[in-house]
Amino acid sequence: MSITGSLSSALSGLNAAARAAEIVSSNVANALTEGYGRRELQTTARTIGGSGQGVTVTGVVRRSDPILIGDRRLAQASSGDRSTTAGFLMRLERLLGTTDSATSLNGRISDFDTALLEATSRPEAESRLSKVMDTAKALVVHLSNAGNEIQVARSMADDQIESQVSQVNTALGRVAELNGQIRATQGLGRDTSALLDQRQQAIDTVAKIIPLREVPRSNGQVALFTTGGAVLLDGHAATLGFTPVGVVVAGMTQGSGALSGLTLNGKPLSTVADGGPISGGTLAAQFAIRDELAPAAQGKLDAIARDLTARFADPALDATRAPGAPGLFTDGGGAFLAINETGLAQRLSINAAADPATGGALWRLRDGLGAMAPGASGNAQLLKDMQSALNALRTPASGGFMAGARSFSTLAADVVSGTATARVAAEGEASFAAARLDTLSELELEGGVDTDQEMQSLLLIEQAYSANAKVISVVGDMIQTLLGM
Amino acid sequence: MPSVSIGDLAQSFVLRRQNVTLKQDMQRLSKELTTGVVSDTASRVSGDLGPISGIDASLARLKGYRAVTAEAGLFAGSMQAALGVIDGLAGNLSSSLLAASSGAGTSRIDAVGSDALQKLQTVLSALNSRVGDRTLFAGNQTMGNAVVDAESLLSTLDSVVAASISAADVETAVTAWFNAPTGFAATGYQGGPNLAALSVAPGEEANLDVTANDPALRATLKGLAMAALLDRGVLGGQATGRQDLARRAGESLLASQTDMANLAARVGMVEAQIETASVRNSNESIALQIARTDIVSADPYETASRLEEAQAQLEKIYAITARMTRLSLMDYLR
Repeated sequence: MSITGSLSSALSGLNAAARAAEIVSSNVANALTEGYGRRELQTTARTIGGSGQGVTVTGVVRRSDPILIGDRRLAQASSGDRSTTAGFLMRLERLLGTTDSATSLNGRISDFDTALLEATSRPEAESRLSKVMDTAKALVVHLSNAGNEIQVARSMADDQIESQVSQVNTALGRVAELNGQIRATQGLGRDTSALLDQRQQAIDTVAKIIPLREVPRSNGQVALFTTGGAVLLDGHAATLGFTPVGVVVAGMTQGSGALSGLTLNGKPLSTVADGGPISGGTLAAQFAIRDELAPAAQGKLDAIARDLTARFADPALDATRAPGAPGLFTDGGGAFLAINETGLAQRLSINAAADPATGGALWRLRDGLGAMAPGASGNAQLLKDMQSALNALRTPASGGFMAGARSFSTLAADVVSGTATARVAAEGEASFAAARLDTLSELELEGGVDTDQEMQSLLLIEQAYSANAKVISVVGDMIQTLLGM
Repeated sequence: MPSVSIGDLAQSFVLRRQNVTLKQDMQRLSKELTTGVVSDTASRVSGDLGPISGIDASLARLKGYRAVTAEAGLFAGSMQAALGVIDGLAGNLSSSLLAASSGAGTSRIDAVGSDALQKLQTVLSALNSRVGDRTLFAGNQTMGNAVVDAESLLSTLDSVVAASISAADVETAVTAWFNAPTGFAATGYQGGPNLAALSVAPGEEANLDVTANDPALRATLKGLAMAALLDRGVLGGQATGRQDLARRAGESLLASQTDMANLAARVGMVEAQIETASVRNSNESIALQIARTDIVSADPYETASRLEEAQAQLEKIYAITARMTRLSLMDYLR
């Protein structure tokens, strides 16, 4: 015990207070930074020669709750997955149009039905026949637009997959690099908190896209595994591989090789939506849109288009057509063949013989598509038969519908209902996942910087600093006293 | 050290989230209140749009039937009016023919002959009457005339009766011409076969199958034509023969009146059927609209009270946000 000992203790106190103030200022500065772990100064009593001599700073501790962060990441991935799926189904529902929208698929069908009925009343009137033509065209355009938009959604999913894969690769590389820096910095005994913050943010980027678990490794490093079991990072960062195709058209599948799958370090990786190595995040959701949901929707549309084509291609309807010739609705101008079903919705077109825009004549709607010359102007039989064909109960030949015959409008309503049901369910799941994510995010944020608390600490630090300074001043006086004797 | 702090971001996160949720609610509720229907029908009916699509399809079809029944009613009504005109003229002429045949003097026969010509012209033009661009009595050849004009009809008949030397001969020849498929049906009637039956309601058809070639109308035309032949100078010089022809024409017209009444009754039945179908369709349409409203309507009381609730909630959140922001240790450390 000596006066210089007191001076040294007071100096260490000043030093600790200064460090503490630095930590507080850093915390306050990052009060709004997401992913910032609150720092705390760790101090302990200094011992020199077996007796206490001031305070020493042992290090800076970064406060974080790995379990909570892990749960939040999983919730984030599942929320991303659900909302991506719900977003696609919502878009699909808008494309088809429910009863809420003025231009729904069923509205188009009803318009066509009404136009046919009205034409039976005055088959000699050009206005009535051209209304039949216009409404038939609007129906065809609606189906082909919906088909095209579905393929656009697949192309967009393809683009999204590419961009997410590159985000994952970049982030994984960054995590590997930070792992190295953390090991080196920790080896030197320096503060690694800032590096840990950056690594947490990099891992968060990946976790949104692919759900993962973070496993601690020696020297402050971490390994990353997907919840499905694939190794993304353990020592070395893995590389995901994907080749975008740009434009996706109906009929292109991953199975046929026309669309790219996913590779991990050059080896193929399953992209299934459930129980696969990457399932549960936005990446798997985009694969599900591209490979499952959108093709299924296209399949339903094609089944609708096929049913429509077949209703009007019945040989009993319109005796003027040559055997095997297409009816009012054609597959790109020709007769529909069962092997060409994929993409029929987009190719669906009106028979050129009846369409004045393509050199046909409207009276063929009344007199038959194969008629050479206009017949009796009051002949409504064919128009009546067409209206009956549209509303006749018929078993759809494809599309995986529940067994049973139905009218064309009911068939379309079934498809729209199926989409709406899936959308309502997906939205329910998405809002559940979002609520879970909100709760976990809130818990995580609660562990963040509280400026009130920091200010309180600052008051204490200020006091401690003053006290230590006072000690120095008093010790100085004491030394002066000694020197002045 | 146990955590005794709550991060600043947590508070603002919760307030922000509740703010967004409430604003979305308010937007949806105010839309529902102004439109009176739920903003998301699919979730109201748990995704099953089958029934409501069925209602919409039926409503659209009933709209089509409304146009059909309105027009068919107009056609049937116009036919009925034309038949009334024809029947009135024929009845009128038959009595003057019978009166003229019993008296003496050729001038009365001549006068009734020229009257008959005029009436024939009126009847033929009634048969050619059009509603809009549709000829009523021409079957499915709706664009052209139903019958030839009086001049060509009579000049054809002139040659048919050229060899006749008695009133009985004239009647036989004219009757044969009107009944033969190669006679009136081929050269006098210019329309086509009957119109197809018309759908006037789901599963119900109205058959407006009256053409100028109908036997009742043919019989009336035959009587009128026989009388009009008097004006063309048939059986010239045989005063008794011409009187006899006038009598025969009058009796023929009289005989055809029952058939004409039956024909008018047939058209009347169709008119009634169309009218009934039309009323039934509009009743069904109203019932369906009520059913549709039941499914999609948003209860205005419930919507308004929930909107009020959301508004109050939002105001509370604003108040809390303002208070919380002021509540900072910083403000007291001065």
